[in-house]
Amino acid sequence: MRGIVRRFGGVTALDGVDLEAAAGSVLGLLGANGSGKSTLSRIIAGELAPDAGTIELDGAPVTHATPHEAAARGIVIAHQHPALAPDLPVWENLFLGAERTVFGGFIDRGRARREAKAALTRLGAAIDIDAPAGALTAAEQQLVEIARALTRRPRLLILDEPTASLAAAEVGRLFDSVRALTQAGVAVIFISHRLAEVEAICDRVLVLRNGRVAGAWRSAGRLDAARIVALMTGDPDAAPPARAKRVVGETVFVASDLAAGRAVRGIDLTLRTGEIVGLAGLQGQGQEELLEVLAGFRRVDCGSIQHRGKRITPRLPRDMIRRGICLVPNDRHRQGLFLDQSVGDNLASVAIAIQPRPWHLPLAALRRLAEAMIERLRIRTAGPDQVVTRLSGGNQQKVVVGKWLGRRPDVLLLSDPTKGVDVHARGEIYATLGAIAAEGSTVLVFASDIEELLQHCDRILVMVEGRISDELSGEAMNEQRVIAASFGRAA
Amino acid sequence: MRAIRSALGRASLLPALAMLAVVVALNAWLQPHFFGRPSLESNIATFAPTILVCVAQAVVVLNRQLDLSVGAGVSLINCALAALPADLPGGGWSACVIGLALALALGAVNGALVAFLELPSLIATFATGAVWFGLALALMPQPGGAIAPGLGDLYGADWIGLPVPLLIVAAAMAVWVALGRHRIGRWIVAVGSSPGAAYQAGVPVRWATFGAYLTAWVLVFLSALTISAQTLSGDARLGQTYTLTSVAAVVIGGVSLGGGRGSPWGALLGALVLGIIANVIYFAGIPSIWQEFFKGLVIMAALGFMVSGQRRRVAA
Repeated sequence: MRGIVRRFGGVTALDGVDLEAAAGSVLGLLGANGSGKSTLSRIIAGELAPDAGTIELDGAPVTHATPHEAAARGIVIAHQHPALAPDLPVWENLFLGAERTVFGGFIDRGRARREAKAALTRLGAAIDIDAPAGALTAAEQQLVEIARALTRRPRLLILDEPTASLAAAEVGRLFDSVRALTQAGVAVIFISHRLAEVEAICDRVLVLRNGRVAGAWRSAGRLDAARIVALMTGDPDAAPPARAKRVVGETVFVASDLAAGRAVRGIDLTLRTGEIVGLAGLQGQGQEELLEVLAGFRRVDCGSIQHRGKRITPRLPRDMIRRGICLVPNDRHRQGLFLDQSVGDNLASVAIAIQPRPWHLPLAALRRLAEAMIERLRIRTAGPDQVVTRLSGGNQQKVVVGKWLGRRPDVLLLSDPTKGVDVHARGEIYATLGAIAAEGSTVLVFASDIEELLQHCDRILVMVEGRISDELSGEAMNEQRVIAASFGRAA
Repeated sequence: MRAIRSALGRASLLPALAMLAVVVALNAWLQPHFFGRPSLESNIATFAPTILVCVAQAVVVLNRQLDLSVGAGVSLINCALAALPADLPGGGWSACVIGLALALALGAVNGALVAFLELPSLIATFATGAVWFGLALALMPQPGGAIAPGLGDLYGADWIGLPVPLLIVAAAMAVWVALGRHRIGRWIVAVGSSPGAAYQAGVPVRWATFGAYLTAWVLVFLSALTISAQTLSGDARLGQTYTLTSVAAVVIGGVSLGGGRGSPWGALLGALVLGIIANVIYFAGIPSIWQEFFKGLVIMAALGFMVSGQRRRVAA
């Protein structure tokens, strides 16, 4: 494709991008959030139309206005955010829009279910094909989304951050599938924030910045991380921000023998002021649920929680917020943001919800608060009035974090806050966490990326099957130990 | 057995079935010979129009839309049938063809407004409902006219030993069962479950919504036909109460107003529950001026029962 331009309102998301995907090879697409990767891939897949530029397939110019037409030409995309119909069973989702049918369009259940099972098994996913897709975990939904793309017999396959919520073994099997496809002559575009994965799978690399091509390589091999960050940010001196000095103080939060549902099965946890504690482990070991219990989203079955020496029972998120215990939830689209409202309204939403005098709405103060947060978190936005969905993923996530910072949180809980967030914005989010910890807050963060926990946390708790299997700090806090502990009881 | 139970659970039919059991028990207690054939036959003849319009609403609601014009549509089709000349060649059969064509035209208008012009269905069908009602009034300012008498005779008859109203309802459900196994039916539900996901998966979203309205209006036609066969005359206010009854039945039947969840079987159960509630209130000897009041209370209780059931499922 040549000279692709796409504007949203006044913002130019893509400004003359050229991209070439060759049969039998994998093109790595890198770039900060908001650089235009997702827009570009959605244009290729027919979900958006370019404002200018041409797309050629096999040397002939093509225009496709809908995903349906693109798929008919063999262009298939697996989205970063799985696009599944939550009420339909997994097997129906796999073939939605490309149903396996017999005479006159009636569904061939037997064949569809067989093929669905086979497709998921190839990815090593043990998923009940009759479960409604909405009941799956994020990682399982991602696998279904990928399996669906693979069943469409693609000629050009776009994988938009397919690994964001996958565990290492699942990533390995995905790469096996990708290699099998390229050997069969399929062109693949692979979008990821994880440089190691790009090194492992890509033949060529393209870096986008602000909707333009910032750099391209023929062969991936070893990548120079510093150079890529520099290309992505356009800042040659982009170094990781210095770690703020923090003092770990007194105990603020103690949970003992905490259990809730099937996911949380007996947690002992002590948190102190001024520390950043990481929650690690394989996907689905109860980390997200633990955070939700602590934030009052889920009911506690047994065990006790003490906050600042007082025994508390989390019942409602509202009560916990009043105590200064706040959660940045896993799914920012569903739980973190009011999608059709402005950046400013989202940033002010917590302040409005918990203000002492509900009949009084201090509009000017709320606006100042929003502006201060945009400044503090370096949110890239046209201003507080911009609709929040116009922001890139990383900046949306900064808004979710920012809404809690109006009043300093006592314990800030974060569930995979950097999912789908680029290296640069990731650094900025952790810098903010470091700053509030330095002010005396406690941070408990779950992340699927071990490296990022190692880099930013004071200690790491590894969860296996709803329990904390190991606590690592100091010298013992390294990747090998975390991985070993992750398989502690699961193996 | 497990398969049946899980299918019931997924379609959330169990609360509606439980409710049906309760109201049937009450009805049988208050009305002697409830289970006798004459009583069952007259009940199914009375309920058939409501059941059909409720199932029609369910198809639209599964697609995450609403149709507030179904009641007025029933009236308009009824008036059109009653206004047909008595010496129409073909008699009842050509009346059916004309009625079906009219229903499909009305459904196509609603479908086009919602699917292609992207008007909010709540407002668009509220407006078209007023138009249908206006047309019905113009056609039949006072109740009157006459429905081809053959239709009434047929409706009261038996065929292969079963009452015709029951067969009409069975045929309507059979059409839905077939559609539910066809990709078009799956598209209707997929779009209702998540329009964005369906679009990205390559489902023709607009046509699916259009198809949902057309399917619904075939059922609306059957509803108008069955009520006309009973009243044998035209009345522009005939279908007035159907619209909101159908929405209530859909909710009682466990179909999510958010789309994608539930089945037309639920709407059928919901319609039966509402119909039998009316029976119970009648046989309980409640003075007629208080009947609506009690009916409202019972519907409220039924909705509360449904909604609390749904909450439990979400929490589980």
